[in-house]
Amino acid sequence: MEKTPISVSDAIALINQTLEYAYPVIVVEGEVSSFKINQSKFVFFDLKDASGTLPCFMMAMQLRTPLEDGMKIRVVAQPKLTNWGKFSLTVRDIKPIGEGSLKRSFELLLAKLQKEGLFEDSRKRLLPRMPQRIAVISSTQSAGYADFMKILNHRWGGLDVTVAHVTVQGIDAPKQIVRALEYLNQMSDVPDAIAIIRGGGSLDDLSAFNDEPLVRAIASSRAPVITGVGHEVDTSLADLAADVRAATPTNAAMLIVPDRHEMMWYADQRLKSIMVAMQTRVQQLKLRVIGTYEQHLQTIDRRFAELSRHVQLRTAFVAQLDPKLALQRGYSLLYDAAGSVITSAKVGDQVTIETKTTKLTAGVTYVSKK
Amino acid sequence: MSAKNNPTLAEQIEQLDALAAWFEQDDFDIEEAITKFEEASQVAESVKTKLSELENKITVLKQRFDTEA
Repeated sequence: MEKTPISVSDAIALINQTLEYAYPVIVVEGEVSSFKINQSKFVFFDLKDASGTLPCFMMAMQLRTPLEDGMKIRVVAQPKLTNWGKFSLTVRDIKPIGEGSLKRSFELLLAKLQKEGLFEDSRKRLLPRMPQRIAVISSTQSAGYADFMKILNHRWGGLDVTVAHVTVQGIDAPKQIVRALEYLNQMSDVPDAIAIIRGGGSLDDLSAFNDEPLVRAIASSRAPVITGVGHEVDTSLADLAADVRAATPTNAAMLIVPDRHEMMWYADQRLKSIMVAMQTRVQQLKLRVIGTYEQHLQTIDRRFAELSRHVQLRTAFVAQLDPKLALQRGYSLLYDAAGSVITSAKVGDQVTIETKTTKLTAGVTYVSKK
Repeated sequence: MSAKNNPTLAEQIEQLDALAAWFEQDDFDIEEAITKFEEASQVAESVKTKLSELENKITVLKQRFDTEA
């Protein structure tokens, strides 16, 4: 019994439908060979092991990790028959596996992004001294998140904390973190800082933080980014692109907010410095007032002494004029009948003569002109 | 949230810094200094109260990031 024939295109479509139904997604591990990028858009390579080879295809924009021949990788892919009848895997995700491949991939991306200046110190921004709004990208179930929040709440208060829950390990992690970063950066009120937090882990677990789009998203974030990826020994590329790298989630919380007890001490110190300034100023003014007062007193003293001297001189002068002094010296005073001192008289006048010891009345018998 | 009646902690610390800076100038006016000193005392007190009482407000976004937007 012969089946109804179908066209070549329909046959390809039918096979692809069957493949999609049977294997919507397969995860394959192998070694990369014949890696090439065509027109900067299309990536081709073969995935092989000791006895088999599978051709792979993907769009260059989906390639999140640098590849080269010899690297061991794990791909998430969909098997497909092309219109040219060739079988290949259409790759959705790639993850280097094994220490050697992870390191190589790290080194390749590091060199590439370094060349672009993504890790330059001049790009780094300072975290605000006292943020009012921060965002945290983390898995809310992780120990790292719990550590971060515990220290954050212990150290500081009055903060608005927006939490974006994502998975922080596995092949999906970088995509989710990038989406969360984009979401937070598109908010009308961009946070003062964004913390990307996860606990520790093996180098393999950390590969999510060596993802190219994630590293780029961190570098281009509008809000400063602090990473607390929790791996003191190894630095991830996300750490290098971040504005601030914290060794652990706890350390990140310590760097992002000040300590409330230190700030209380700071407020006290400020007030104390103001009190010292006040006391110094009061002392200064007191000395100035006393100085001015003493200056006035000295002026008054000086003026008073001058006046005293003047009065003494005048008194002495006036004393010299006292007619009684003339009597003391042996002179006489001459009065008329009315008792007025006179300096001349005529014959027949009666005058009174006063000497030092007596008063006598005499008649004028002779007058001559001097 | 920077209403004059309800300044943030950061704003109050800045206010305290500005007041302390005012007192660093030479020959400041003593009458003005008394007013500013009273202001600084109140701000410092309020800062300390806030620091000991305020709690962080945590909001976990409902937005999911495990699928394409």
